[in-house]
Amino acid sequence: MEHASLTVQILLPLISVIIVATILMARRRQLFIRRIQGLTAIDEAIGRATEMGRPMLCCPGLGGIDVPTLQALSIITYIVRASARFGTRVIVPVSDPTTFPIIEEAIRDAYVAEGRPEQFNSNDIRFLSNRQFAYAASVAGLIWREQVASCFLFGLFYAESLIFAETGQQVGAIQVAGTPSTTQIPFFIAACDYVIIGDEFYAASAYLSREPTLLGSLVGQDICKGILILLVLIGAALVSLAPLIGPPAGQWFFKLFQ
Amino acid sequence: MFQPVQGYRWYGYIAGALLVSLVVVLILQQTPPRFRKPLIRAITLLGGLFYALEFFLPTHPMPTPEDPQRVGNFLTPYVVPFGNTSVIIAAWTVGLGFINLVQVHSRRLLRGAEGAFNSAVLLISMAVMIVVHILQKVHPNAINKNLHHLLFDGALQSLDATMFSIIAFYIVSAAYRAFRVRSVEATFLLVTAVLVMLGQIMVAQAVTMHLPHNLHVEVIRDWILTKANAPATRAIAFGLGIGGLAVALRIWLGLERGSYFEAQE
Repeated sequence: MEHASLTVQILLPLISVIIVATILMARRRQLFIRRIQGLTAIDEAIGRATEMGRPMLCCPGLGGIDVPTLQALSIITYIVRASARFGTRVIVPVSDPTTFPIIEEAIRDAYVAEGRPEQFNSNDIRFLSNRQFAYAASVAGLIWREQVASCFLFGLFYAESLIFAETGQQVGAIQVAGTPSTTQIPFFIAACDYVIIGDEFYAASAYLSREPTLLGSLVGQDICKGILILLVLIGAALVSLAPLIGPPAGQWFFKLFQ
Repeated sequence: MFQPVQGYRWYGYIAGALLVSLVVVLILQQTPPRFRKPLIRAITLLGGLFYALEFFLPTHPMPTPEDPQRVGNFLTPYVVPFGNTSVIIAAWTVGLGFINLVQVHSRRLLRGAEGAFNSAVLLISMAVMIVVHILQKVHPNAINKNLHHLLFDGALQSLDATMFSIIAFYIVSAAYRAFRVRSVEATFLLVTAVLVMLGQIMVAQAVTMHLPHNLHVEVIRDWILTKANAPATRAIAFGLGIGGLAVALRIWLGLERGSYFEAQE
């Protein structure tokens, strides 16, 4: 089992306190969030599918019940709610059986929240396979057969990411992707119309819902990133100035992070 | 904490676990909707608190025969049994996934809808695979083992490998689009990609070996990968780490709003 080192015992609670504090502060005042192109494109993709009268595909990736998949579900719920207003069909292929009931319930709730429970079709929330390439083949088949107009790829992806993105490209779907899997981001950039990179993925729910709690959390994240950048700069400065001030200062600093 | 048991006690434990699960499901079903969310939040908070305390509390040596170097605190022995509950829940949900698959495809088959033949193939394949796997476990004779080997390693694994190999063609197609010189950024991407690719091959290394060391193509490749690519990837990872921590905190403390949770008042 891994346990917290002294630095982690200081940094992690500090970051947590900053995030929770900014969430509490945000409930009292209006916060600004910059425009994120990829997230703005979600509405454009929904509109296109509605105009073409073709379905949309929301793929939550291969993750189980974890933070990236819950975040992806949050984005997918937004897409389902928006599509319910226009009567556009959304297909959600699921790979992990543990997330299947959660996704099904969340999507049913989304239709109910929009006052369109009759639009919920259990056949469109489909468990396909928990084997990576069986899932990839099934999703690619779905994209071809249904000739989807828009593809939303949010969640954890591995080698199958390019199979989805290229198949969507071949059917002419507008594609928006976002993943915390840094190794798959280049593939999405090559094959998708819009890609949400890095922590923009976690900013998505705040950007889409504009809830004060989520916006506050985003401000907290930025403050914490500032602290980490400061620590990186101090480390770089100590290494660069080692010939002048001697190595002990740098060594002491690095030992803190070992 | 929980030692493996044999014989009648094993059946007793299984029956007891099923009974307890049934009672828990019944209680959850009977819980009024307005109490369900607080209940889920309370369980999430307690679960998270357990792991947080186990991670942060001071540790001392706790050697075991398997791991003489192990350190931990009074919560450490419960981490594995606690984690196993998620495995048990996952095992239950596999059944839900299976039911959904059967429902979707049997409906299509009965209606004779488009793609009914594919649904029939899926259902028959699923049934055959289940029967063969059970037979191989219950009666591991040569016929059952060979049949299992034929279906699992011969068919399923080969189909997996086929899908994986298709990625090579998709990479070429995606690379062609990405490397088209349409803008300054795309030109940078093309030049960088060509340098990295050339740095991988012996011919290009041989051609540049007479140039000054810093102009060797493999040196340029290493510089791009370690000085340009790696810092950018780490920067993304930093952001992702903090973003993930923020989402985890919101879920743990029941602060998540506006998505699959109720909108803020």
